[in-house]
Amino acid sequence: MQSEKLLQSFIEETRQLINQAEKLKTRDMDTLTWKGNPVSWNILECLEHLNLYGDFYLPQIEHKIRISRTKSDPDFNSGFLGSYFAKSMLPKEKLNKMKTFKDKNPLNEKLDKRVIDKFISQQIKLLDLLNQSRNVSLNRVKIEISIARFIKLKLGDTFQFFINHSIRHFRQIERIESEIVNQRQPLSV
Amino acid sequence: MREIVELSEKTITIDRNEFLKVKGSIDTNVYYVESGSLRVFVLDDFEEQIVRFGYKENLIVSLDSFLTGKPSDFFIQAIKKTVVQVITKQQIDSFLQKENNRILWVRILENLVLQQLEREVDILTNSPKERFHRILRRSPQLFQEIPNRYIANYLRMSPETLSRLKKS
Repeated sequence: MQSEKLLQSFIEETRQLINQAEKLKTRDMDTLTWKGNPVSWNILECLEHLNLYGDFYLPQIEHKIRISRTKSDPDFNSGFLGSYFAKSMLPKEKLNKMKTFKDKNPLNEKLDKRVIDKFISQQIKLLDLLNQSRNVSLNRVKIEISIARFIKLKLGDTFQFFINHSIRHFRQIERIESEIVNQRQPLSV
Repeated sequence: MREIVELSEKTITIDRNEFLKVKGSIDTNVYYVESGSLRVFVLDDFEEQIVRFGYKENLIVSLDSFLTGKPSDFFIQAIKKTVVQVITKQQIDSFLQKENNRILWVRILENLVLQQLEREVDILTNSPKERFHRILRRSPQLFQEIPNRYIANYLRMSPETLSRLKKS
């Protein structure tokens, strides 16, 4: 795939994530902290989980781009593991549950709306990195993944993986919002 | 301008603070603002600088992307809920096949060059007071459509300075 086309699709997906986060900013705290049961996440916890991922990946990506001596490639070819991980992140028709690693689990932390601001500023940072990545090789710059440092993914696959992970949790947020609506307006016979 | 707006086959609605365009995207569309207001800005090291506003009945475009087909650094964000009509580059290109339409198009671009010159003089004007008066004379409507803090940023002054100038 052409590198520039790929970056354009990442930039567009990031724009949509920012817009969805801006919508969440207008919700009240009751909505943002509602949870169906004690062990599932509320909306802020979903976002904080994404922020923890951002804290891990964004500085690493920035560093790897900065020290890279590669040049931009016209085309990007997804790696075997890279495309496997990226695809595994995308939600299926019926949302498949996935295990969360302990250090990325914000369950029952005290959170407020600043979590949303942090998410948006991370997305702005991501846009910046996507723009910077035009000057390096999406194939040859490698990023260590959070679950196993010895697995390294191509920068292009890492962006896809990272963005798909956010899309996945925004799907979860939509589901939480629909549960809230159902709960507040019980079906009457 | 009506002839150009009529080419549009698509309308987009975005809520307050949502982005129509972000940094790095290639956006060759021209947008006609039906209602609401937008700001165009650049961001460096987390400092925003507003370049332009768009409100009701304005055309808004990332002119760099539109002309070159290359990525543009501009962000376009809704200041309040905004409805825009989308006119694609292809629609404009086929519109410009006709001689008469090209004359109209050149007028629009000439007008834009004049506006950009005014803006260049704005930016090079040292006195905040004079910058404020230039904008007030040129686009009084701006002060009705756009919140102060954005106008202050556009004028490169603090919101406090702007509110002092408005009172004097």
